[in-house]
Amino acid sequence: MSEPHAIVGQASPIPAAAGIGLRFPHHACVLEAQPAVPWFEVHAENYFGGGRARHALAAVRRDYPVSLHGVGLSLGSAEGLDLAHLERLRELVLAIEPGLVSEHLSWSVTGGQYLADLLPLPMTEEALEVVCRHVQQAQEVLGRRLLLENPSTYIQFPHSSIPEWEFLAAVASRTGCGILCDLNNIFVSASNHGWDPIRYLAALPADAIGEYHLAGHAECTLESGRVVRIDNHGSCVAAPVWTLYEEALRRIGARPTLIEWDTDIPAFDVLLDQAAQAADRLRMTGACRARAA
Amino acid sequence: MPALRELQRSFGSALLGGPLPVEVDAELLGIYRNTCHGTLAAALALSFPAVHRLVGAAFFEACAQAYIPIHPPARAYLNDYGEEFPAFLGSYGPAAVLSYLPDVARLEWTVNRALHAPDATALDVVALSAIDARDVAMLRFVPHPAVSVLHVNVPADAIWRAVLEQDEAAMAAIDLAAGPAWLLIERGIGGVEVQRMSERSGRFAQRLCAGQTLQAALDAEADGEHAAAELNAALADHLACGRFTGWQVPPSQNSTKEKVS
Repeated sequence: MSEPHAIVGQASPIPAAAGIGLRFPHHACVLEAQPAVPWFEVHAENYFGGGRARHALAAVRRDYPVSLHGVGLSLGSAEGLDLAHLERLRELVLAIEPGLVSEHLSWSVTGGQYLADLLPLPMTEEALEVVCRHVQQAQEVLGRRLLLENPSTYIQFPHSSIPEWEFLAAVASRTGCGILCDLNNIFVSASNHGWDPIRYLAALPADAIGEYHLAGHAECTLESGRVVRIDNHGSCVAAPVWTLYEEALRRIGARPTLIEWDTDIPAFDVLLDQAAQAADRLRMTGACRARAA
Repeated sequence: MPALRELQRSFGSALLGGPLPVEVDAELLGIYRNTCHGTLAAALALSFPAVHRLVGAAFFEACAQAYIPIHPPARAYLNDYGEEFPAFLGSYGPAAVLSYLPDVARLEWTVNRALHAPDATALDVVALSAIDARDVAMLRFVPHPAVSVLHVNVPADAIWRAVLEQDEAAMAAIDLAAGPAWLLIERGIGGVEVQRMSERSGRFAQRLCAGQTLQAALDAEADGEHAAAELNAALADHLACGRFTGWQVPPSQNSTKEKVS
């Protein structure tokens, strides 16, 4: 198998193939039916405890490569990282030996309160320093490279001075972290803020990109009549996001690709179908590259 | 231009109902506020499913709306969110007529803790036999993190079970005046188990779980031969069921022992 961009983890690398975000309703089905899925990704915080959830993840990990996707480390918090949270993540990484570990370019904690969402950062030199410091700290504690995901945002701060794509590239170059390129998030933010999604994609350093995310979003009309795209992970991948994925495959190349679905979770077959659509596109990339060579 | 820390403080406070930071559009901030509240209310509903069914979705949502700004989570680990919810329900005016609700919520919180507690290995009973006979009285046990002892003033366990199993006959048979109960909550192979204990065994288990010495717990609860036999049987059951993960004895003349597996 030629997988030049498979990312090697401590135990099982995550292949440049189409994996699925695994959520609780599908644990039993995956463990019983052993579907042909190349890898799974889970939200790390859902497995910080013991008992049934942890046992299920350990069982899945025996049969599949697993990626841990954190949603609560709050790398952009000015007040610093929650060391107890980081320690729990470290413990989970040691136990599960994931092929990849990723987090978000966002913040969720202020004044010792967790606000349960991936909140937007002002794109400033100060925020860049904070994020770089925390990515470095997390990489040191975990003893491995992190992937940092671009966020979906609805708000831009007037004092932001760095385009988001440059901010991400700067974090990657200063800390050595990789980038988790979420194509749905690029599309959502670009639509909301009037950015050019292709320009965003073109500005990301291809060598740093270690994974793609694909998910559905909703279009919502606010009371003022303003239309906003909301990243709710509650539907199939939208056509323009598939097109953006194809563009990413052409420009950047094949990478581990994940189908995420977190609200109104459908039957597992629906996720398999979405992953098959991503796999078709990945295969075409491989074939094109082989012809070119 | 606000420093990042101040911006985050004011943004966070706005999400929890405070005034808007001047540089943020109210309507767009509302998108984040909806996600924040929706996620936290869903986390509460997951941890308190019987309370949710008892009061209904709309009332539960109102409780959550009132609770979240007063007690936002301190950690990004939502399985741990809701510790103050039972006490909050006890002081929440609109729920005052449901006098049993706080006890059902307390039970659900301990069930939730049992569900998500870290895994731990039960203590090796054989190793206990190596303890010097003079030290046995001074033994202190370390409870398994999934084990709790709970004292409730109403038959919260019967209500909890009937509500979750949607067993209307069991619900109709509940006698709210049946008086207090002592409950043992732990994680079994098939899920979380809740069982009743006698008052004596309940107090004894509570003392042991609180780290009192075996002798102190026995002295406090064993008033007579019959009682001593009951407590010995209860202790044997706790050990056989793996409810302790370790033990400590204080340093004595010839030995210092500590064993936490």
